[in-house]
Amino acid sequence: MEIKFNGEHTFPVPREVLWTHLNDPKVLTVCLPGCTGMEQIGEDVYETSLKLQVASVGGTFTGKIALTDKVEPAECHMQMEGSGTIGHATGRAAFELEEVSDSETRMVYTGTGDVGGLVAGVGQRVLGGVTKYLTRRFLTTLDKYLADEAVAAKGDGNTNPS
Amino acid sequence: MTSEPRSGFRYISRKRRPQEDRRFLTGQGRFVADVDLPGMKHVALVTSPYARARIRGIDTSAALGAPGVLGVLTGDELARATDPLYTGIHVPGVRRYPLAAGEVRYVGEWVAAVVAEDRYLAEDAAELVAVDYEAQEPVVDPEQAVLPDAPLVHVDQGSNVLLRKRWNWGAVAEEFAAADHRISYRARWHRSSTVPIETFGVVARWDESAELLDVWASIQMPKFPDHLANALRLPGNAVRVHFDVDVGGSYGVKRGIKHSVLVGHLARTLRVPVRLIEDRLENMRGGDAHGPDRIFDVSLAFDSDGTVRAMKMRALDDLGAYAGRAPLQLGKPVGAIVGPYTIRAVEYEAISVATNKTVQEAVRGFGQSPTNFAIEMGMDRIARQLGIERLELRRRNFIAADQFPYLIPSGSTYDSGDYHAVMDKVLDAVDYPALVARRDELRREGRLAGIGIATCLEPSGGNSSFEPLLNTRNETTTWMDSCMVRVDLSGSVTAVMGTSSSGQGHETLLSTVIGEVLERDPDTVRVVHADSLNALPSNSPVGSRMAIMLGGAGAGAARRIRQAVVAIGAHNLGVSTADVEYSEGAVHVRGTPERGLSWKEIVAIAHRKYHLMPDGMEPGLQAAFVWEVPGGGTLPGDDGRVQMYPCYAFEGHLVLAEVDRETGLISLRSYVVGHDCGTVINPDIVHGMTYGGVAHGIGAALYERFSYDPSGQLVSQSFMDYLLPSAHEIPDIRIVSHCTPSPLTTFGQKGSGESGYLGAPAAVVSAVNDALAAIGLEVNEIPLWPGALGDRIAAAEETGTGTAGNARAVPWAGPQ
Repeated sequence: MEIKFNGEHTFPVPREVLWTHLNDPKVLTVCLPGCTGMEQIGEDVYETSLKLQVASVGGTFTGKIALTDKVEPAECHMQMEGSGTIGHATGRAAFELEEVSDSETRMVYTGTGDVGGLVAGVGQRVLGGVTKYLTRRFLTTLDKYLADEAVAAKGDGNTNPS
Repeated sequence: MTSEPRSGFRYISRKRRPQEDRRFLTGQGRFVADVDLPGMKHVALVTSPYARARIRGIDTSAALGAPGVLGVLTGDELARATDPLYTGIHVPGVRRYPLAAGEVRYVGEWVAAVVAEDRYLAEDAAELVAVDYEAQEPVVDPEQAVLPDAPLVHVDQGSNVLLRKRWNWGAVAEEFAAADHRISYRARWHRSSTVPIETFGVVARWDESAELLDVWASIQMPKFPDHLANALRLPGNAVRVHFDVDVGGSYGVKRGIKHSVLVGHLARTLRVPVRLIEDRLENMRGGDAHGPDRIFDVSLAFDSDGTVRAMKMRALDDLGAYAGRAPLQLGKPVGAIVGPYTIRAVEYEAISVATNKTVQEAVRGFGQSPTNFAIEMGMDRIARQLGIERLELRRRNFIAADQFPYLIPSGSTYDSGDYHAVMDKVLDAVDYPALVARRDELRREGRLAGIGIATCLEPSGGNSSFEPLLNTRNETTTWMDSCMVRVDLSGSVTAVMGTSSSGQGHETLLSTVIGEVLERDPDTVRVVHADSLNALPSNSPVGSRMAIMLGGAGAGAARRIRQAVVAIGAHNLGVSTADVEYSEGAVHVRGTPERGLSWKEIVAIAHRKYHLMPDGMEPGLQAAFVWEVPGGGTLPGDDGRVQMYPCYAFEGHLVLAEVDRETGLISLRSYVVGHDCGTVINPDIVHGMTYGGVAHGIGAALYERFSYDPSGQLVSQSFMDYLLPSAHEIPDIRIVSHCTPSPLTTFGQKGSGESGYLGAPAAVVSAVNDALAAIGLEVNEIPLWPGALGDRIAAAEETGTGTAGNARAVPWAGPQ
């Protein structure tokens, strides 16, 4: 069954910083909900494993994400496919990064996906809401990650008075 | 066989507590999940998440290494070791195995099975089975599936149309040409089923020294032991199915042949007892137990006085991915294709189409309820068009009491009935003018209220004439059932039946009819379920047949006992059998009650005193009786005319419904059903069937649907999405009984296991359409969900037109 998502979010960092983070598997592993690992297996191709719970359905999910049509630092497209105990999914997504100011960047994203198996059969009533929730959790976790990093950077400055 | 007197029964038709009640009400039922064998192992299933995909490979290594795992079986392995499952029609390109081999054809289809020490370990290991799928485009819409360029569910079959038959009975073209009016319409019955509380379960144990497979299963399936042995490539006497397992609900769907073949194979190859009990999701998506899924295109020719002259009906049925017995569900309605009406000519086209959906199985009525729904929708339309009151229109078309036995155009003879009398009783019981006044009062308050009417038949006494009708290679003309009655040394009576029961009360049935014939208290008659190796032949409780067939067989065996008792008595009293009277088991010389022998004395002679037995009589006191379906025994003619079932019960429904203008929610306010199933053996059991049947029909009309999204994902796999009516949704149901005995059966009984369900969907739709007529709206597909209906009401009230959004009417495609 088809799912769609789109939205925008403004991050308190310059565009280049955001771009770098969005292309860093380590950052994504921390910020993607349920992500238990992300490994680069080719140029702009990553293998990822997730542990997810949608409504009454929980399980593991492994998939591939390929980044295409990258226009650094402004635009990126993604293709995803994967499967696991909770079903299977394919999807396409894209984001654009717009400079709001020197220290603020707006991300505009759209995506469509097709899911099947258990998650479609049992979780379909809540799938739209869960998609929104997971997306928001990714964005807010990344926000927090960026904020923590900024605090740590400042802290570094304070404890190194040379 | 001669008939018993139809009145003055000693035990039949009398209120008597079902024998099974004590066992079930005290929690002493023994269901398959109660069968716990030492060393028993458990199965978990790997199922397809795709509606259609090629299986490129299956990696079982991780699962095999998981804790507690005994084995992992794939479809290719099982297909090599077993023969394909039984298919009801001739489709050589459709091979069905318990596990998919090479290709998956619906979401939930089984791909591999894991056997482990317990179910938890088995499920954990099943998650480790890695299946490499190559997804392919599925075919989901049955009307798309018939098109030449549609993806093929079975490439080897060359077409998704697995069955297409057209018959012409009577002067259809002439009647259509001569009629004053003609209408065409569509009726859509979406996929629902019965969903018993108990899912399917099976336990199997292979005895290597005896080379015998013991099977306990929650089964309700004709010839199940034979199908099982055939698929496992075993002789019939190497499979012993135990029929003393209580089945926790069925109404047709407990046909777990694939489960049983799988578990039988695993038990045999792993040399351990193996158990598989479906969980709810497995039952709903992969239990292969969905019901009919039909598109009817109907044309009716009728005169201005309301007389319906002829009907053309095309029924397109979405079978799902494989053909079991399900296509035959298009055949049974041939036996009641004109309902209770005098329609003179019929053209009927039956089309079964395969799609990438869960497999269809038999459901209560075996296709009759959808057909009744389609016919009744037409009767309402004609009434509206001609301005004739809807019950009056039906009455003008009823077969009258003095017309029985009545031969319908498709070759079945209806045994008996008095439809006018039943409806008279219904109208008296419900105070029809008051009901109409109540509806009109609701309307004056601004509500959408309507009265629904449906009158229809329940063909009963399940024969299998549809097998040779739809498959000329099949020459089945008997669908016998049987009973053995034994009287032991103590004089106790035991009856042996050869099939399992799923709540129909067969023990009560048999003890009642045997008690009636022997004039012995039925509560002293014990009924036991044999196993398949010591049973006489049975075709299982399908097609509303057991009151007729098992009841007839039990009475036949009891009559033989009675004859033996009379013969022994007469011999020892020194008179001829014509000169003695049988009374409550004792025998005395006619007119001289003091010259007699008691039951105990006669039993003792039979068992111990051979020297007192009449010459040539076998010792002991036992009798077997195998009964053929009355009126059966012949193959269909080339024109498709055949006697389908022997007996025809009648039901007339009257319901008051209200549709909420804002939400589209439908509430039922009053429900009465007139029911004539001939002589009733046990009133409480029959009424229980009817209450449940009405509720089941309300479910089909308003709530229940297996819904698929365009990619073939089943999106109603749990009771959160597949909605069942609860006590809140079911109104008080009043049953009005009438008895027109059948001349064909032992006591005048007809079947009743499908009663209520066969007319309730039609009646509910009739009520809703009566309510919606006020705003020019008509519905023609079920279930009627409030969301879509609410939108249509809003649109209709805005624009004043009511046709938008209906399943479109398609004119009859056949020759006019």
